Amino acid sequence: MATVDERVVAVTARVLKIETSEIKPQDDFTADLGAESVQSIELVAMFEEEFGIEMEEDAALAVSTVGSAVEYITEVCKEQGVEV
Amino acid sequence: MRLILFDRLADSRSQFYPLVLSRPIWELRCGITSLAEKLIAKTGAMETACFVPPYMADAYREQSQWQVNDPASLTGDDLLLLNPRLKADDFDIESVGSALISFNESGDCLFVRIPKEKLDHLNTESIDALIESAREALPAADKSPATWDYTWELVLANADQITSDFAAAGRSGIHSDSIEDPFVVRGNKDDVYIGAGTCIHPMVVIDAEHGPVFIDEEVEIHPFSRVEGPCYIGKKSILLGAKCREGNSIGPVCRIGGEVEESIIQGYSNKYHDGFLGHAYVGEWVNLGALTTNSDLKNDYSNVSVTLDGRTPIDTGSTKVGALIGDHTKTSIGTLFNTGAYVGAMAVIAATGKPLPKFIPSFAWFLEGVVTKGFGKKKLFETAATVVSRRGREWSAAQVSMWEEIFKITASPRLEAVKQGRRAMRAKYS
Repeated sequence: MATVDERVVAVTARVLKIETSEIKPQDDFTADLGAESVQSIELVAMFEEEFGIEMEEDAALAVSTVGSAVEYITEVCKEQGVEV
Repeated sequence: MRLILFDRLADSRSQFYPLVLSRPIWELRCGITSLAEKLIAKTGAMETACFVPPYMADAYREQSQWQVNDPASLTGDDLLLLNPRLKADDFDIESVGSALISFNESGDCLFVRIPKEKLDHLNTESIDALIESAREALPAADKSPATWDYTWELVLANADQITSDFAAAGRSGIHSDSIEDPFVVRGNKDDVYIGAGTCIHPMVVIDAEHGPVFIDEEVEIHPFSRVEGPCYIGKKSILLGAKCREGNSIGPVCRIGGEVEESIIQGYSNKYHDGFLGHAYVGEWVNLGALTTNSDLKNDYSNVSVTLDGRTPIDTGSTKVGALIGDHTKTSIGTLFNTGAYVGAMAVIAATGKPLPKFIPSFAWFLEGVVTKGFGKKKLFETAATVVSRRGREWSAAQVSMWEEIFKITASPRLEAVKQGRRAMRAKYS
């Protein structure tokens, strides 16, 4: 089974239409990966769909980098009893 | 006699969503006045108190001069309790008389008439307790009076109601000294009322040939506007080259352009630009972006259905029904609403170029063709605070509390739509 890191990178690559190899943990979704505001919302929705979780909008949109998304999603999965 | 207007969660008030999520039913408009004003005029009540759903009581108190949700108002006088869905024009029950109670087939209480001396035998601790004890103790009326059952009924009745309200008001004539030529009134000038302080620019046509036109005080009408009766324009509203077709009631402090036909706009809303609005009911603090348009007639001329709960379509029985749009909703340029669209309150709509789904839940961010959580409730509240302050109103703690509760009330269809949106998005990105 893919790790949280791999799944976050895969979703990011699909939504932002970039190669997985171009995505690093320290990348900022907006400044480095070029996410526009609507794509930020789509990323949140796709992370929720990928992991089967519900994220609080303000907290989720406050996450700026790929690495912090991995940490936040791992935490939410734990809180909501989702095995990853 | 004291008139008690009651709007209870126990009754079928969701039939008037999304417009009554944030206001009691009696604040809805039809014709020139609200449902409350019609019932007060009909009953001749000199004193009015009211009961609203508890979650909106504090917010409503801020804008009402009546006692709100105060059990003390249920004692000390003859009472006439009225459900605001009663059609005032058809209500023929004497305001004062022997005890009497009426329910409809759905079990909604429609009215209760209680002589003061009977109150000692009833439970007056709350409006619900009073109605329940009255149900047990008082004789039932032989038949149920006529009621408004859905929001679109107000829209469909609006033109005739304007005509009858105009006659009842007994006011006509031009009371403004700020009317610039060329200015044309078609039809009978007795069918036109223009209030004091209203400013009419050159090149404006008021067409009262087919019905009266009531333009309230301090309205501003810009060049190339045509206002066709029956029509009501509320105080301090502005028409910007509008093609204002027959049957419109536009509440106070609106900005209206483009083409509007047989629609009701509650107030404080903007439809500044071109675009068609027909057979619609629009709430307060709505902003319709340029070219926003609603369909109000299906291509096969069949009855329009409306989905109020996100699941079950209701046949309106009419071939002409437009959009129902809740308070604080905003649309982008080029938004196209389907026939009989339900657009919840506090929704944000970004157009896709195609007609949108017929049901868009409250607090939805409709982006890229699907319902999302968007930037969330907090951002919507920040925008609402900005919007109301621009018109000199306060986004109060009571308002915030009420809208927090509305967010909870409307959660179920929104969460379902968000899940559907995520599935659609997944398919798009797989």
